[in-house]
Amino acid sequence: MPNMISLAQPQQRQFNPYTENGGTILAIAGADFSVIAGDTRQSEGYSIQTRYAPKVFRLTDKAVLAVNGFAADGNMFVKKVRQRLEWYRHAHAKDMPLRAIARLIQTMLYARRFFPFYVYNILGGIEEDGTGAVYSFDPVGSYEREACRAAGAAQSLVQPFLDNQIYFKNQTPAPGTSHPVHLPLSTVLALVIDSFTSATERHIEVGDGLEMYVVLSKGSTAFQSLGAIHGIQELTATEDGERVFVIRRELKKD
Amino acid sequence: MDHFPTNWGRPRNDAYDAYGTYPIAVRPNNALKDAFSAGVQRTQAPIVTGTSVLALKYKDGIMMAADNLASYGSLARFKDVKRLQTVGEHTVIGAGGDMSDFQYIQTVLDELMIDEFAEQDGHTLGPAEIHEYLSQVMYARRSKLDPLWNALLVGGYKDGQRFLAFVDLLGTTYSASTLATGYGAHIAQPLLRTAVEGNEDVLTEDEALKIIEQCMRVLFYRDARSLDKYQVAKITAEGATISDTRRLDTTWSFAEGIRGYGAQTE
Amino acid sequence: MNSFAERFSTTSATAQMRIAQAAAADEEEFDGAMWGSDAGFGSLAKGVPSFSVPAVADPTSFLRLHTDDHADPNCRIKIKHGTTTLAFRFQGGVIVAVDSRATAGSYIASGTVKKVIEINPYLLGTMAGGAADCQYWETYLGMHCRLHELRNRERISVSAASKYLSNLVYGYKGMGLSMGTMICGWDKTGPAVFYVDSDGTRLKGDLFSVGSGSTHAYGVLDQGYRWDLTDEEAQELGRRSIYAAGHRDAYSGNTCNLYHVKEDGWKFIGNYDISQMHYDGPGDVPGAPGGGYGYDIRVEGRNSSNPPAVAAAA
Repeated sequence: MPNMISLAQPQQRQFNPYTENGGTILAIAGADFSVIAGDTRQSEGYSIQTRYAPKVFRLTDKAVLAVNGFAADGNMFVKKVRQRLEWYRHAHAKDMPLRAIARLIQTMLYARRFFPFYVYNILGGIEEDGTGAVYSFDPVGSYEREACRAAGAAQSLVQPFLDNQIYFKNQTPAPGTSHPVHLPLSTVLALVIDSFTSATERHIEVGDGLEMYVVLSKGSTAFQSLGAIHGIQELTATEDGERVFVIRRELKKD
Repeated sequence: MDHFPTNWGRPRNDAYDAYGTYPIAVRPNNALKDAFSAGVQRTQAPIVTGTSVLALKYKDGIMMAADNLASYGSLARFKDVKRLQTVGEHTVIGAGGDMSDFQYIQTVLDELMIDEFAEQDGHTLGPAEIHEYLSQVMYARRSKLDPLWNALLVGGYKDGQRFLAFVDLLGTTYSASTLATGYGAHIAQPLLRTAVEGNEDVLTEDEALKIIEQCMRVLFYRDARSLDKYQVAKITAEGATISDTRRLDTTWSFAEGIRGYGAQTE
Repeated sequence: MNSFAERFSTTSATAQMRIAQAAAADEEEFDGAMWGSDAGFGSLAKGVPSFSVPAVADPTSFLRLHTDDHADPNCRIKIKHGTTTLAFRFQGGVIVAVDSRATAGSYIASGTVKKVIEINPYLLGTMAGGAADCQYWETYLGMHCRLHELRNRERISVSAASKYLSNLVYGYKGMGLSMGTMICGWDKTGPAVFYVDSDGTRLKGDLFSVGSGSTHAYGVLDQGYRWDLTDEEAQELGRRSIYAAGHRDAYSGNTCNLYHVKEDGWKFIGNYDISQMHYDGPGDVPGAPGGGYGYDIRVEGRNSSNPPAVAAAA
């Protein structure tokens, strides 16, 4: 195989190049918006290393990436994705579309099939057709577009809750009614906050702070029904029409 | 095709169990048995090691401390090593872990600072840049499975900003108002957090020094690889300074009364 | 200069060369094609894509050490696995049916996985084994099928496509790739199904099932299979077989995706919930007998623990 380094090298047996830094991430897609959230605790074993280490990153005005797993791999991976997106911007004078970013992430993860990035990625944002989208990845690049996904330490606590509240799994609609296909932003934000406060209660690696990124499609009115959200900050950088916001909340620190 | 899902995605080892005949619980261990393959020695485990480094943010900048001991296993081998080092005008790094790897890092940073100085472009590297550089070096080495076996703290003060961050042999990085490596992460960090969190902008130099000294003392009492000789670095708007070696006042008379600590036979 | 001094010098010409070489080595993943929109697949221009391999004597055992295994829960990198898939050839084309469950250890990582990979309008691939391996290499196969069309002014045969994939993965044999796939399509020879796996096996055949639920699926499939099945009967057989696997195999379940390949390419027939098939059947679809597939549903009111209403009254 070309470009493979020589295999005749000494073997390292003591050193484990991976660790696990805890935390949980989650993303939910709405009709014309997407919410991507993560807690800000970084830990190793029983030690909390810091109470503020972001796991969710704005890539463009229409794409936000959440990474979870081994923090050093995660940070390096985000750095490499951003570099590729910048190169794309220089080559094409526009931001890469979301589904193309998803495929890019697959190829970048798969390039490390034999020395994986220990990172679970969730990509959220707005597609070219204006719909909200969430893509979730495994560490070696298999991916799928979904309506919601939780990953990380508390995925097994949060995902069943989301299945029930977003997909209405194991719920029967009242006679003559049906479940909504897309939930409004206010409901989604409330579900995200509840997911994280609950995960904080029951998982030691989750807590300290919560960062929720909201991506709105062109002309979305999702915010208007909400009134003022305290502490919201706009991060939009271009005039393309999509808008990105971040909302920060405290979580319990014990 | 192996139809057993737990084997999927994992390399097979044709030397053992090529046909997946072993039950899952007794699957043969796969590690290479040949010890002679380790012909070239690289750092696979630390040899001469330093223990904790502590640092905190206070009103005027950053304070950092480390003792002067380099251990060789359980032997207190060198009792006068300097584990804190200034890098440029605005930064101090402190190292725990393998001392030879730390000396290599110092060489690399010296080279970097000379190259930057030679540019004469009006820019100097601040603590944030040095930390970023170090974290890239550390991550690159772990990715070559040839790590620099250290946990490093980078503290600095530049352009009116305090900076304090961590990086270790895996390339893991983080930042907080108090940091501690090694044993200090377990013993000193809770004390530091109690004293510092929320008070970063009001703690005076004297108060910060007292906190550091107390933490070093507690560490010396409980960390068997520590020493009562240590140095304190201070990085403020005035620049970075590292103190001469100080000695901790310690009392051991209380140990008499503690079961399991002193000379009791029962 | 003294060679020892040279080795540790940082300013000599050889040192500069050494630094440059180290820098070049660090750029291993760099590729001019990455600047353009061709993203990762830009490496197509150079032939087979390149992969980073850990710098150890035996990268295979490194990967084995760090990827998931029930027997060793310390392996943290859990790779998603796919599970029951089947495809068969009959008079009316090819039926492809799969489940949609992905597991990572005992956790159900997803219940909505697309295990049929639409390589192009005439070719389907199925996914069993490592999800990423199947997705990546079958997408890559799709690019080469398109190149074949551009070079030869005609569609690639199913045989050639499957051989391309088989040769590709054989190059990585023993390194940990895991895929058991059926390449299905319609070409000049009519309907065709080829089984290809990561050991390098490639088999031509009428009927295959792959994955941990394959034995359950084969049971149903073998007893219902005939060459002269009608389209409706064939679709029902595919559905019913995946239901059986989903019902009895813990690693399979959630829903069934059904595809039918005919002369004019493949067509997606439908998505069927496995629990719903158990209790209520697949719904109003041609070929379905009506009612649930579950035997407890079929025999309701006709066994001793649940006797008929008349008997109960008496």
